[in-house]
Amino acid sequence: MLRYDSTSSSAGSSSGSLSSSSSSSKPPQQEIDGLLAGAGYKVWSSELRQVAQRLERLETAMGNSPADFSQLASDAILYNPSDLACWVDSLLTEFAEPPPTCSSDFIVDPVNNQTVVNSAWTAAEPHAPQVHQNITYDEQQSLDNQSTVVTATEEDSGIRLVHMLMTCAECVQSGDLSLATSLIDDMQGLLTHVNTVCGIGKVAGHFIDALSRRIFQGMGGGSVNGGSAFENEILYHHFYEACPYLKFAHFTANQAILEAFDGHDCVHVVDFNLMHGLQWPALIQALALRPGGPPLLRLTGIGPPSPDGRDSLREIGLRLAELARSVNVRFAFRGVAASRLEDVKPWMLQVNPKEAVAFNSIMQLHRLLGSEQTRNSPIDTVLSWIRGLNPKIMTVVEQEANHNQPGFLDRFTEALYYYSTMSDSLEACRVQPEKALAEIYIQREIGNVVSCEGSARVERHEPLAKWRRRLSGAGFRALHLGSNAFKQASMLLTLFSAEGYSVEENEGCLSLGWHSRPLIGASAWQAVPAWENHMSSS
Amino acid sequence: MAGSNEINLNECKMVVPLNTWVLISNFKLAYNLLRRPDGTFNRHLAEFLDRRVPANLNPVGGVFSFDVLVDRGTGLLSRIYRPASAEEPQPNITELEKPVTEEVVPVIIFFHGGSFAHSSANSTIYDNLCRLLVGICKAVVVSVNYRRAPENRYPCAYDDGWTALKWVNSRSWLQSRKDSKVHIYLAGDSSGGNIAHHVAVRAVESGIDVLGNILLNPMFGGQERTESEKRLDGKYFVTLRDRDWYWRAFLPEGEDRDHPACNPFGPNGRSLEGIKFPKSLVVVAGFDLIQDWQLAYVEGLKKAGQEVKHLYMEQATIGFYLLPNNSHFHIVMDEINYQACLYSEEEEFQHVAGSISVLVKRINGSDCVDELQVSSYTGILALCA
Repeated sequence: MLRYDSTSSSAGSSSGSLSSSSSSSKPPQQEIDGLLAGAGYKVWSSELRQVAQRLERLETAMGNSPADFSQLASDAILYNPSDLACWVDSLLTEFAEPPPTCSSDFIVDPVNNQTVVNSAWTAAEPHAPQVHQNITYDEQQSLDNQSTVVTATEEDSGIRLVHMLMTCAECVQSGDLSLATSLIDDMQGLLTHVNTVCGIGKVAGHFIDALSRRIFQGMGGGSVNGGSAFENEILYHHFYEACPYLKFAHFTANQAILEAFDGHDCVHVVDFNLMHGLQWPALIQALALRPGGPPLLRLTGIGPPSPDGRDSLREIGLRLAELARSVNVRFAFRGVAASRLEDVKPWMLQVNPKEAVAFNSIMQLHRLLGSEQTRNSPIDTVLSWIRGLNPKIMTVVEQEANHNQPGFLDRFTEALYYYSTMSDSLEACRVQPEKALAEIYIQREIGNVVSCEGSARVERHEPLAKWRRRLSGAGFRALHLGSNAFKQASMLLTLFSAEGYSVEENEGCLSLGWHSRPLIGASAWQAVPAWENHMSSS
Repeated sequence: MAGSNEINLNECKMVVPLNTWVLISNFKLAYNLLRRPDGTFNRHLAEFLDRRVPANLNPVGGVFSFDVLVDRGTGLLSRIYRPASAEEPQPNITELEKPVTEEVVPVIIFFHGGSFAHSSANSTIYDNLCRLLVGICKAVVVSVNYRRAPENRYPCAYDDGWTALKWVNSRSWLQSRKDSKVHIYLAGDSSGGNIAHHVAVRAVESGIDVLGNILLNPMFGGQERTESEKRLDGKYFVTLRDRDWYWRAFLPEGEDRDHPACNPFGPNGRSLEGIKFPKSLVVVAGFDLIQDWQLAYVEGLKKAGQEVKHLYMEQATIGFYLLPNNSHFHIVMDEINYQACLYSEEEEFQHVAGSISVLVKRINGSDCVDELQVSSYTGILALCA
């Protein structure tokens, strides 16, 4: 939202009839400078002058040794550029003497630095417990901004197909099943005229199938999300290989976990969905190379029970243990078999109060959301016990999409765009059968979003903005992912030949997207200590 | 030389509002971190620092946006901004490329600034500016995400601009009803202004009509050190040293600043005499150190018999158009409206550049955003190239 009339302290030229509300007395409620917010930067109006002074100091410092700066910039880890005051201060600590007026808490490493800043603001603003919650402009905008599109040249058949898909979905929503059915037939026919190699043609088939299933088989979902755990693991593995989304998720989460574990000798990672444990070799190796030596690493992997008597969790654990042994990392594994995440109880994880705990959720939390916002819904229960275990960090990666809206048509259209973009990005993959199986992986997800309801619909994706509100409300605060994570994620992308991927930073979270549309978002969280929460809510 | 540094900082703080000073100083600071002495650029950090917004189908201030893939081969994206229609405030997924309904609709192809190296079409500051242009001109705006230096030198940015121009020109849905043609204007600030000029030249040579050029603080230069460069070096956010860096990053290796890309009417340039070049609006900021080159550009156009309006904003610094908190901003926006786009007879009668009555109308009129209309949106679709 562009507010041109909010507080802007004008030191110079007139601005016609724009209101200038800078007054000599500080308003009781802190306000951000509306114009800077419109440009993507958050500065309290009352702090504008201070920020300007610090910018000046930085400039003077840089004036003294300009050549050093680009080098220092390459090495420094920087966080949350939108928070200008914070950003300028972190540069000052990197490049110059810290400002005399600030407390000594500003020094030390970035992870602690940002924690100090957060709690300083918490203490000063009892009505604004979380810095980011005050900025409704930004949240609102990010919530509404999911509707990006990438269209290439028009293709008449393609457009007609889209039109028909929308109409069909509308019919399904309004209950006009006979029209919906005839549309399905028409669309099947039209598919033969459309290029199914890329763009809309590619995913249209999946959406037509999903609609068809919804109309004819009801919404139990049945075999859509079925596929045994074994099948799902295979598809997941190929999706992992075919495109960078899961690698980005693992990589970014590991980076954050590594930083959070710094200085701890006993660490414990709880993985909400172990799969083949693809994420962990890299973390084990990184811990092995840690200056000062590796900690004792415990890994608790959660996964579905194996039907055929095999203990697949244990098998993965053994392989990881083997790897850990080879790099001299003391390692212990425990598997927790559960069909649903909400069936897991905290005692099963056997968390030791002396160890630093990291919870890792790669596209799992959304499964705990129901369509109704009831009290004590699974998500609330799980978040509550996670918080109770006081983890050092909780890494959360989720699809950056709004697939949990109550209205079917809205959900359908959102999914249409999301999955066609994702499918389009798969075009860059040259290896088979990875590509084909990744396509099926996507198809399964589409099927669940479109043709399932109730407890069968588990793919209830919500965008980062919603997760931020939810997690903040549940007593967590964001740990910012910094420029090093960003850089490494970007470098990961250069391994893929396709130019269309991009990493973006937004309020300390990173997202990976294709053709300017973010598709997957990564964030890190820490439990707000109970005493702090109590103070800020009084 | 800490003393003169302080003087510089104080001078520049006196001519811009504090928040503008903070914004532009922050850019300056960040950009200093990104340019390496060896001519390479810290692209990762640049992308991390750049503030961006996604496109938004939900109309905000009467404007909605979506991204298009103009060229799959180079991955050239552009962001399209359209006015939301009163009858159908939320565009349906199939209606993004619905034909324009008015008799005359200006289509402004916009090239963002950043000295050829910084920013993107989805940078927040440029997203804001493009939305503004839609409102002011009742236009469709196409913001081109051209390839940047130093990774992509001359002529990549121009090629991308040309590709986008051809794409726009061939969209039947952008044709004005009156003559079934696309009414194209080229616009840009800083390096974007430079790109607009060169794309216009190419358009004219290829027979595509461009109705007007709008250049805001266009980036031009030359080997010679001009009086304004010497006088204003380092005084208002910009130094000669950084200007030189960006030219070295953009121009082909080994070329100097008299290369025609940089100095189109210089020793290696060519006259545009006899060519049906679009009429130009060239806005020059009085505190911009490269103004002598911009003035030379205006002179070059005049000498070639081309129609050009030169708007000299004496007290303006670079980036004055990024925040709507100064009079230069409003004067320029008003002029852009008058030059480029639709205006009713009534407004033409009232028009006097910079007149208070017109300014007041603009500020209080529907062009400014009142409320965010929050409503459910529809997602959109990737179509095949």
